[in-house]
Amino acid sequence: MIDSFLPSLGAKVVVASSSDENHPPENITDGHTNKFWMSTGMFPQEFILRFAEPTNISAVTVDSYNVKHLKIERNTSQNANQFESVTEKEFQQTEGHLQSNAISLNGSSATHLRFIITSGYDHFVSVHRVSVQN
Amino acid sequence: MVKLRAKCLLVGDAAVGKSALSHMFHSDGTLFQKNYSMTTGVDLLMKCVHIPDSGDSVELYIMDSAGKQTLVESCEKMWGEVSLLCLVFDLTSEQSFANCSHWMERVRAHCRSLHLPGVLVGNKSDLSTRREVQASVAQEWAESQGLEYHETSAKEKENCDAPLLALARAYHSLYQERRETIQNLGPG
Ligand SMILES: Nc1nc2c(ncn2[C@@H]2O[C@H](COP(=O)(O)OP(=O)(O)O)[C@@H](O)[C@H]2O)c(=O)[nH]1
Ligand SMILES: [Mg+2]
Repeated sequence: MIDSFLPSLGAKVVVASSSDENHPPENITDGHTNKFWMSTGMFPQEFILRFAEPTNISAVTVDSYNVKHLKIERNTSQNANQFESVTEKEFQQTEGHLQSNAISLNGSSATHLRFIITSGYDHFVSVHRVSVQN
Repeated sequence: MVKLRAKCLLVGDAAVGKSALSHMFHSDGTLFQKNYSMTTGVDLLMKCVHIPDSGDSVELYIMDSAGKQTLVESCEKMWGEVSLLCLVFDLTSEQSFANCSHWMERVRAHCRSLHLPGVLVGNKSDLSTRREVQASVAQEWAESQGLEYHETSAKEKENCDAPLLALARAYHSLYQERRETIQNLGPG
């Protein structure tokens, strides 16, 4: 299993529901946890990753803060629409350090992965890094 | 530049002036979903508030829930996740002020441990000869509940922007505080 940070897969965020220009969604895919994307209020919140080509994904690891419930959807189309659900997970709350959750995607093939944060432990949540095992 | 979004719950007894106030709030804003209330007991409207000297703004989605006791139960189901509280009473009704503590309990129970910034609004300040609640008493209770106190007259369009600006500012500070906390976090 290879742990790839997203830049090497040509992945980038194409849609995000919130934006603070000091904490843009590109911070999710830069491979570092010190920079982050922050939600700016209310739920659900979502972001969509696009891969350069269809990619088989065995698991993703999400580094975040105050995320409570996350749903993941995928598609294999060129467009960021018509998603099918893959999995969902309830995260444990952490204090003083990031949440880090590995989520199995069973080798699903995807050109887009959609991450929907349906609830949080606070008004605002942050996502620091998504990495992919393929 | 940041655009924040908050769902603001507007609650209080029937006839204290919640709907009149929300009309004032959106008179220069966007009417979001009026008369939604026929079936659900909740009106939703949106108002964008700019935070002075910052370039930042807060979109307030204001939920005007019906104050009639029979509808309270169905309203609570509609509240969902809440970001801010605007609790209103009628300055000419001691009873509506006394009931604020019940509203507070209800909202607290609904939001559990989540910290909810909010304001207490004494409305109908134009009816000064019929006033039953003194500003100092309301102010003191508001402070004990962590709410900022404002008096308004929806009828005379007096001071109606102040509570909204206070809510937007409180939410904006909360955002900055949380962002600071996140910046100082250790890795997972
Ligand atoms: N004098 C005066 N009357 C008001 C004011 N605000 C609302 N009212 C009146 O109070 C009554 C109830 O107002 P409404 O907005 O329907 O109350 P709600 O049940 O809390 O939504 C109406 O007759 C309004 O015209 C105010 O600031 N001053
Ligand atoms: Mg009303």
